[in-house]
Amino acid sequence: MFTQPLDVLLIFTITTPVIGWVAYKKANRKIQGIYAALGLSVTAYFLYELYKEVAEKGVVLIVGQLPFSPPLGACLKIDMLSVFMASLFTITGLFAVVYSIRYMEHDTGLTEYYTLLLGMIAGMTGVVFAGDFFTLFVFWELMCLTSYALVAFRKQRWEAIEAGFKYLIMSAAGSATILLAMSFLYGMTGTVNFAGLAARLNNATPDGWLYVTLTLIIVGFGIKAAIVPFHTWLPDAHSAAPSPISAVLSGVMVPTGAYALIRILILVFGSMQSVWQITLAVFAVFTMFGGNIMALWQNDLKRLLAFSTIAQMGYIIFGLSTASLSGLTGGLFHIMNHAIMKGLLFLCAGSFIHQVKTRDLKKLRGIRKTMPMTSMFFAIGAIAISAIPPLNGFWSEWMIVTAGIEAEMILFSALMLANMIISVVYYVRVIRIILLEKPTAVSKKAKEAPASMLIPTFILAALCIIIGVYPGPFITMASQAAKAALEVQRYISLML
Amino acid sequence: MIPLVYYLAGAIALYVIGMYCLASKRNMIRLVIGVEILMNAAHLTFIVFSAYRTVGYIDPLGHAIVIMSIVFAGCITGVALTIVTYAYRHYGTLDVRKLRRLRG
Repeated sequence: MFTQPLDVLLIFTITTPVIGWVAYKKANRKIQGIYAALGLSVTAYFLYELYKEVAEKGVVLIVGQLPFSPPLGACLKIDMLSVFMASLFTITGLFAVVYSIRYMEHDTGLTEYYTLLLGMIAGMTGVVFAGDFFTLFVFWELMCLTSYALVAFRKQRWEAIEAGFKYLIMSAAGSATILLAMSFLYGMTGTVNFAGLAARLNNATPDGWLYVTLTLIIVGFGIKAAIVPFHTWLPDAHSAAPSPISAVLSGVMVPTGAYALIRILILVFGSMQSVWQITLAVFAVFTMFGGNIMALWQNDLKRLLAFSTIAQMGYIIFGLSTASLSGLTGGLFHIMNHAIMKGLLFLCAGSFIHQVKTRDLKKLRGIRKTMPMTSMFFAIGAIAISAIPPLNGFWSEWMIVTAGIEAEMILFSALMLANMIISVVYYVRVIRIILLEKPTAVSKKAKEAPASMLIPTFILAALCIIIGVYPGPFITMASQAAKAALEVQRYISLML
Repeated sequence: MIPLVYYLAGAIALYVIGMYCLASKRNMIRLVIGVEILMNAAHLTFIVFSAYRTVGYIDPLGHAIVIMSIVFAGCITGVALTIVTYAYRHYGTLDVRKLRRLRG
């Protein structure tokens, strides 16, 4: 119905409760997790098939069964950018699910947990596959609703309730803003299809309503993409959610906001490119500074990582705001690296929490003595994200800085370099606390994480090193995706 | 026929009321209602534009979108009220100021 990968995800989402009933009857708490991992593996296989089809044809168009042709009916439109993002979702989701099997062993409601997690990944995949604004909105709401429930999953704790409520109110206000912007676009053109909107508005002269719509779009998606004045939900939600969920939220759900922003801005607001470029670049600089400076003060490991996510989103949005091939390549490559690095860091933080039941950096001192493997993987992730040359974070951040210089945004590039130095400061502090200091009473009692939690972190750490040493093919993938994002005329001509 | 501008002004006023509600109210249920008002502002603009695109006809696209979107608004309210229920059980109050232990 909606391309094979999305169908598989939705079918597995719907059937997980049945498997949960079987697991309850058999009194086995691992079946749902294994079933969800199986679902994501099957999705990954079908995504590879879809990738081959897209590589051959350029764009795959799926039209609904109703007797309406695309400008009126709903449709899915899959190009290289969609496949690139969807593969990140699937892979990060797979690691999170494998990790959850052991991490969530003491929690109740596992069936709901895996159902919601698969639903969230299905929602994100739908967002990147959508060919019209309303389909995007439907899957956007699927992603949002499941993530509200997942942030408030440990509902017996005050922190999860507060963070969940705050996140829900802010994000729902953002969704309503997106809907209002969509209604204005509909009023101006009579369609919500991206190609139809692009054909009518891409060369239009900007008027007042178009400026209002642009503002609403940037605010609405900016709330999800954690642009700085709208970021306040993120540190709470990321630190209150279970760690595998934090990895998915931070690694791929927040960049989904950036994806939607850039897709719509390039396609629909082409006539106002200079306006939104400078707006996004200014917001990006605020986002970098806000995230990095707040991260300097944190003593809570997961809050520190959450503020670092905000800073990384600043880099990504700056890369996308150049709207050039090199800038978009850098931004998309950084989305990929960020999913890997932040996934790794949150999963390692989860291992610490699982073993010693605390996220306080003062109590985690010297945990290297008792958890050597996890500490080493954490250090690899921290070095990678603070852009030290041999690892993957360096390449993408460097590409964004050079793209900024090419696009004559030298001041913004200089500010981004300053931010990269600030991020080194706090990550070096965390590495020193974990690796070099003397163990405290709490960290002496810790034990190494179990194998099923170590394997996902090991693979992610290995990916950090592999992409760092051999970035060529991954940069090619990102640049193909960036090329697909910039081909506006081709996108229009295929649809209409 | 009433001019389009009046309806749009009404919808934007609803949006502003919703935002004001989110910014100023302390009761959690009122915050949820504020989100509903925001969604309804957008629904109203859809309905108005679908009626005014061609005079004498109704564009079904706007209506289809609104019917779907009302369901999402209901879902958001459902999840929100669940969280409000847990918050009430935990704190014994619906005042959002009592929930200020986290600082973003």
